Amino acid sequence: MKKKVLSLIMATTMVAGLVTGCGDSSKTASNNSSADTAAVDTSSADNTAEADTSSADNTTGDNAATESTEDITIKLFSNLPDRKNGQGLVEQMIIDEYMDANPNVSIEVEALDEEAYKTKFKAYAMDGMPDVVSIWGQPSFLDEVLDAGVLAELNESDYADYGFVSGSLEGFKRDDKLYGLPRNTDIMLFYYNQKMFEDNGWTIPSTYDELLSLADTINAAGITPVAMDGADGWVLACYLEDLLTKVNGDCRGIISDAVSNGDFSNPVFAEATQILVDSAAAGLFQTGYDSQDYGTAMNLFTNGQAAMFYMGSWEASMALNEDIPEEIRTNIRAFTMPVVKDGVGTATDIAAWNGGGYAVSATSEVKDEAIKFLNFMYQNDKLSKYGWENGVGMSAQDQSAYMTGNETELQLQILDILNGASSVSGTPINDCGPSAFKTSIETEIQSVANGTESVEDFLSTIGQSCK
Amino acid sequence: MSKQADKNVKVSKKKDFSPANIILWIILICVAVVQIFPLIWLIDFSLASSNEMFTTGLLIIPNKIQWGNYAKAFVDGHFLHYLRNSILINGLAVILVVVISIMAAFACKRMQWKLNNFVKTLLLLGMMIPIHATLLPNYKIYSYLHMTDTIWALLIPYVAFSLPQGLFLMTGFLDGVPVELEEAAVMDGCGIYRIVFQIVTPILKPSIATVCIMTFLNNWNEFMMASTYLSSPKWKTLPFSILEFTGQYSSNYAVQFAVMALTAAPAVIVYIVLNKHITKGVAMGAVKG
Amino acid sequence: MKKLYSNKLVILSLVFPGLLVFVFAILAPIILSVYYGFTEYSGMGTATFIGLENYKTLFHDKAFGRSLLNSLLLAIGFICIQHPIAIVVAAVLDKLQGKAEGFFRCIYFIPNVISVAVIAYLWKFIYNPDFGLLNNILHIFGVQEKINWFSADLAIWSVLIVLIWHGFGWGMLIYYTGIKNIDPVLYEAASIDGADAKTTFFRITLPLMKPVIQVNVTMAVISALKQMETVYLLTNGGPGNRTQFAANYLYQQAFKAFKYGYGNAIGVVFIIICLIITVGLNTLFADREKKA
Repeated sequence: MKKKVLSLIMATTMVAGLVTGCGDSSKTASNNSSADTAAVDTSSADNTAEADTSSADNTTGDNAATESTEDITIKLFSNLPDRKNGQGLVEQMIIDEYMDANPNVSIEVEALDEEAYKTKFKAYAMDGMPDVVSIWGQPSFLDEVLDAGVLAELNESDYADYGFVSGSLEGFKRDDKLYGLPRNTDIMLFYYNQKMFEDNGWTIPSTYDELLSLADTINAAGITPVAMDGADGWVLACYLEDLLTKVNGDCRGIISDAVSNGDFSNPVFAEATQILVDSAAAGLFQTGYDSQDYGTAMNLFTNGQAAMFYMGSWEASMALNEDIPEEIRTNIRAFTMPVVKDGVGTATDIAAWNGGGYAVSATSEVKDEAIKFLNFMYQNDKLSKYGWENGVGMSAQDQSAYMTGNETELQLQILDILNGASSVSGTPINDCGPSAFKTSIETEIQSVANGTESVEDFLSTIGQSCK
Repeated sequence: MSKQADKNVKVSKKKDFSPANIILWIILICVAVVQIFPLIWLIDFSLASSNEMFTTGLLIIPNKIQWGNYAKAFVDGHFLHYLRNSILINGLAVILVVVISIMAAFACKRMQWKLNNFVKTLLLLGMMIPIHATLLPNYKIYSYLHMTDTIWALLIPYVAFSLPQGLFLMTGFLDGVPVELEEAAVMDGCGIYRIVFQIVTPILKPSIATVCIMTFLNNWNEFMMASTYLSSPKWKTLPFSILEFTGQYSSNYAVQFAVMALTAAPAVIVYIVLNKHITKGVAMGAVKG
Repeated sequence: MKKLYSNKLVILSLVFPGLLVFVFAILAPIILSVYYGFTEYSGMGTATFIGLENYKTLFHDKAFGRSLLNSLLLAIGFICIQHPIAIVVAAVLDKLQGKAEGFFRCIYFIPNVISVAVIAYLWKFIYNPDFGLLNNILHIFGVQEKINWFSADLAIWSVLIVLIWHGFGWGMLIYYTGIKNIDPVLYEAASIDGADAKTTFFRITLPLMKPVIQVNVTMAVISALKQMETVYLLTNGGPGNRTQFAANYLYQQAFKAFKYGYGNAIGVVFIIICLIITVGLNTLFADREKKA
């Protein structure tokens, strides 16, 4: 008899559960969330002890006060999964600081690395975004997002004294309205291992031909010349952008024309692409570069298996990353893309842009608090200062006040490169069109680089995707 | 008699060191090595330090065994939290599949109504639908109902896609159960529910075990839906932790190896302990399904 | 009894949960997919009805063609590589007794219980040209060259090997059960007639295993079609679209390229292909059985 009752109860609860599941899920969700806040908080990276206590307070308060606005949870969706180094650490420091200063606010972080982040972001954009999100001030990313109106408008005049580098906000605007704030100034660099160069008597190439002959020498020594993250097509696309800049100087006009007409027949594109193809064929990159991801490429370099690593300035914090053997991390230096033969671009015309940043969701239930937090992050002594102190590359704000004298050699080098630049390229080519174009070029560039597709086919295919 | 004789034949064969027999052993061992060596390699590398990995040897003999890798993986990978989620979600899915499939199987096989075969075929149709084709529309539906990032977003599809198989096994088994038992129960004045849960369910035990195992195996390792429908760590399951973790420790390979080993461990241990039952269950499910 | 067993309300209460789950998790999404398949829709804002435009594009889409071709390759790989080995191993295993049998069976099945996420990352490392297991093994045999296992030409085979390795235990187990179900009397009779192991295998084991082989082949074809997770994590379809599969492609189109409508069109075609192939294989085998 007992058995019968038990099974009956089980069956009915199951059915009831399913019904509630369909109709009234919000209730279930909120119940769950109150029960689980503590668990979630511990899992959102490394909170300080104080932060934990504050969230414990929230848990107790949550049940009673659903209407009162006292306890606020901000969901932050970040593209910085490594919370212990570089930019991720900086972000987490500011979050912890904010939660200390505002005990009623708890910030939940969801972090994924770039590719996974962008995919998930788009899924979010379709319905219901987290409150604060990482974004990129580039057409490929922002156009559709702004069309859909999922980002909250920010008041530009609020940021007059935040010291943003002039022009750095442009990518985040549409129709003169501001929707996000830039976090970095990104420069594409060849990081190199100075000690390895000196030990072998290698010198920094000043022309592209020198780079290729250096690659031969390095290959002959049994070392990989350049570690390349080719699995993510965007790095190859940045490389192409870098080459375009060297071939033709400023390419903004050419690229935007090509994208809007779906026509990449301008010989500049073929020339730059050809250089990329030849370089790959000549063994500039590691074996299997077209399938090796960010982490794999970086590890090749940070474990001394590769002499150089092509990546953006945001990785300058490698110099302080304890996971990297000291002998290597203290010897990391950088140079920019060398000039190509008969190219218009000079050594100081560099591939650089203001890409990544933050924005607030338009539909956020805690919009005011989220904007408050956003502004907190961008206060002059937060992102910019902490970033600089932790060896991250350049922020999009005036950092001159934070020179401590403790900068890594690498940071100073990057600062010099930026200060000495005669022009910057702006948004890299893959981010200049709609996301269908971006998806296409980032897939096709692998095929063209590894020689399975001809340069003409590559250019016509990416042209097609713009239409 | 025949079994006895059979055994004798085999025992005598085992002692036979003929070339043919040796070849058989070599085949078995080779395949076993291929199947298991990557896992040994995984454990070996998880105990080394990151900069020892660039060797040309097959296995590393670490200078110092790095248990710290596991400590990091365990704590920073929030192993227990994800494990709890995995167990909870899969446990619930298994219970739901068993209960719903018994009920539906009974209704379609025993109850007398016109649409019984139609409903059965309809429910079995789910077996042919590729699960990933529903990722996009389901995402919309769950967002609309605010069910993303709740346990339901995983539970419902997990149940839905294991149900056809469960139903199939249950109806198959129910065919072999004599109706007389139920008739007697009806004489005693039992209601339908009591017949289903008290008379029929115990008889279905072997197929219930199979359904449990199949459902569990299907869903325990599921990754795509977990990564699409969930966002906060609240309900994330074990497989997803790997993706998250490789981002977090992109510059430390050894810890990545450790988190992989750790994630694989629960299922492997449970499998080794319950080896006999599981293989039996899977075999039954697979041959019938 | 009859009255009790035809109570409509009771019947409804018994099938209702099952139907509810079916409608909610399978039928509704498919209907929604069909609807969005006819629209141009980024996933946000409004959807515009464009008729069969998506399907026309799909028909000429090289990447989609590639993904179907890959499924075919995969199915052939399963049937021609995995299954013969699995049958032989199962037959050999059947000859063993006691602990050794359990031990091997256990080992063969272990990869199956490990999450695809672990498997994919593990094999990513195994294929790594610089410190991966595979190149290190070749190194021992004197191959000095660093082989790029994910190059345009090799990638699909590399993916295939992972899938064969991962699914081997499952296939083997089913064959093993099939063999176990063969009446031992037949073997006795064969050994009395003086048949050797080879003859027994080809004359008795294989023919009697026919239904099991058919089930396994059907499952192999379907799993080749449905393949997604391993590829998503291992290569994400690259380099180029060389290792693209339908499920992965629709995911990419919808969530990366913002072509949600197009993604759904791929989904619809994908479902139709799966249905046709499953039904086709089943009727094919059913016919054969009748004739035999």
